[in-house]
Amino acid sequence: MKQQTKLSQKQETVAEHQTQSNPAREFANSDELLRFDAAQTTVPPEIAQRLQKSAANIPAAPRPWWKTLFGG
Amino acid sequence: MVCQTVVESLVENPIEAECAGRPVLELESDGFAELYQAHSREIFYLTLRLLGETHKAEDATHDVFLKAYKKWGGFRGDSSARAWLYRIAINHCSNLRQSWHSRNLVTGAEEAIWENATAKSDSPLRVLETKELGQRIQKTLDALSDEYRLLLLLVADEELSYDEIAALVGQTTDAVRGKLHRARKAFAAHFEKTV
Repeated sequence: MKQQTKLSQKQETVAEHQTQSNPAREFANSDELLRFDAAQTTVPPEIAQRLQKSAANIPAAPRPWWKTLFGG
Repeated sequence: MVCQTVVESLVENPIEAECAGRPVLELESDGFAELYQAHSREIFYLTLRLLGETHKAEDATHDVFLKAYKKWGGFRGDSSARAWLYRIAINHCSNLRQSWHSRNLVTGAEEAIWENATAKSDSPLRVLETKELGQRIQKTLDALSDEYRLLLLLVADEELSYDEIAALVGQTTDAVRGKLHRARKAFAAHFEKTV
């Protein structure tokens, strides 16, 4: 019982800490909320490494004639 | 130039390679590494929220950019590179979801109930705890129809115009605006229930 109380107190402290470190926010609408969410999202660097390996096995697409001629 | 230096210094450990918060990629194809650095975040985010799981989003982002890499030489710039990548990502995720026989549990009737719910699209969305915000957003998006989910994710990207969004979803700009109003309302109603 005492142990449960201790645990409960600890959980409360953790919860309190999280609340303090993550203050309440208000978003005007779903667009703003999703923008915030997207900005918090980081791209795992493993994707770039996998892509580099995969692309290494594929010859790069030939440069089209119009780009060769006119640039771009 | 700074990126290049970072790449050179991290050749032995490319996993750690990162420049200005964006993963670094070195490929022979002209400009493709820059394309990846400029757009990988939005493509990863779109696939993450459409597919709902990080490992699926990682695979999908890899596949999307690999497809783009194969077609990059022929990209004529008829649309913006951003919209072009979105097109590939949307088609890819749509194919994946179909092949998984994804079940859409929200019927038209249920959606109408949510649209008529008390939440208004102009009501602010209050978030007390941002730590689990991603889970709440995912849960909310999962409860919406595929169409609403995609529209909300696309319109959240400020770089995309309404015309580009309309082209991506195959509808008129007016139809997109009308549906967005209902989609925002449905999102707000669902989001309130995820607390």
